[in-house]
Amino acid sequence: MVLAACDIDPPPRAEGTSAPTPEPPEDSALVASVVAALVRARGVLDAAVTAAPDLAARLDPVLVAHAAHLDLLVGAVPESEVPTAEPPSLPSRVPAVLTAVRRSEQRLLREVRTGCLDARSGDLARVLASVAASTSQHAAALADGAAP
Amino acid sequence: MTVLDALQDTLGDEHAALYTYGVLGARTSQAATPALYDALTTGYRRHRARRDRLRVLVEEAGGVPVAAAAAYELDGPLLRVAQVQAEAVATEESSVEVLLALVAQSVGAVREWALAEAIWSATWQLELGGGPRTWPGAPELD
Repeated sequence: MVLAACDIDPPPRAEGTSAPTPEPPEDSALVASVVAALVRARGVLDAAVTAAPDLAARLDPVLVAHAAHLDLLVGAVPESEVPTAEPPSLPSRVPAVLTAVRRSEQRLLREVRTGCLDARSGDLARVLASVAASTSQHAAALADGAAP
Repeated sequence: MTVLDALQDTLGDEHAALYTYGVLGARTSQAATPALYDALTTGYRRHRARRDRLRVLVEEAGGVPVAAAAAYELDGPLLRVAQVQAEAVATEESSVEVLLALVAQSVGAVREWALAEAIWSATWQLELGGGPRTWPGAPELD
């Protein structure tokens, strides 16, 4: 199936359901904006691990999840290129680094939510809803782990 | 599938979730496991409000809200804390999956509501002993 100038496999549909909606070209720009948001968030996570290597084990699951999100979205848009993001400079104190990561993930969550709500393709909206749910889960896990 | 179909599917899933939460709450000691009891109580209230909202949305979409079954099959005896937690997490996982289908079929205010509820159910899994996933509600992408 094709959607938003992208290939994202939708879940199996029951027999007799309506055909998927045609691909709305507007969604290509939307996917690009979400990809850029994910790249920015990845930059913050990479900088966080560099600044506070002790956090690597806690942040690795978030990096792995976002890498999968990026792979799917980038692969869904033919001939798209992954943008680059200037790595932020973070303090080396662990609490400050975690605060920066949490803010970054909350910003990403807002951006993905907006993308989900604006998507013309229902299947793309579903994928972005899952990315938002995953981002929220990881942010909550980081918050739980922050307790002294 | 139409948005009304997705709303009815979600309402049916909420009937089952409420039944499950009721059973899990009855098998959980408030004195022995207060955190789990509180998490189940919060979950029950959230799903009850969600069911009520879905009934309205179904009617607004021109449908007759599906009724709850008399009982639902649960997975195992659910006598131990870990079993209760696992069933509660599975209930929320199911909710996320059904709500994401509603996200796909809807637009505007209904999609926004479904997305907010999906995010809540995904995040609440951590309060119930679950962990973060890469593709909550979309297992075929894992």
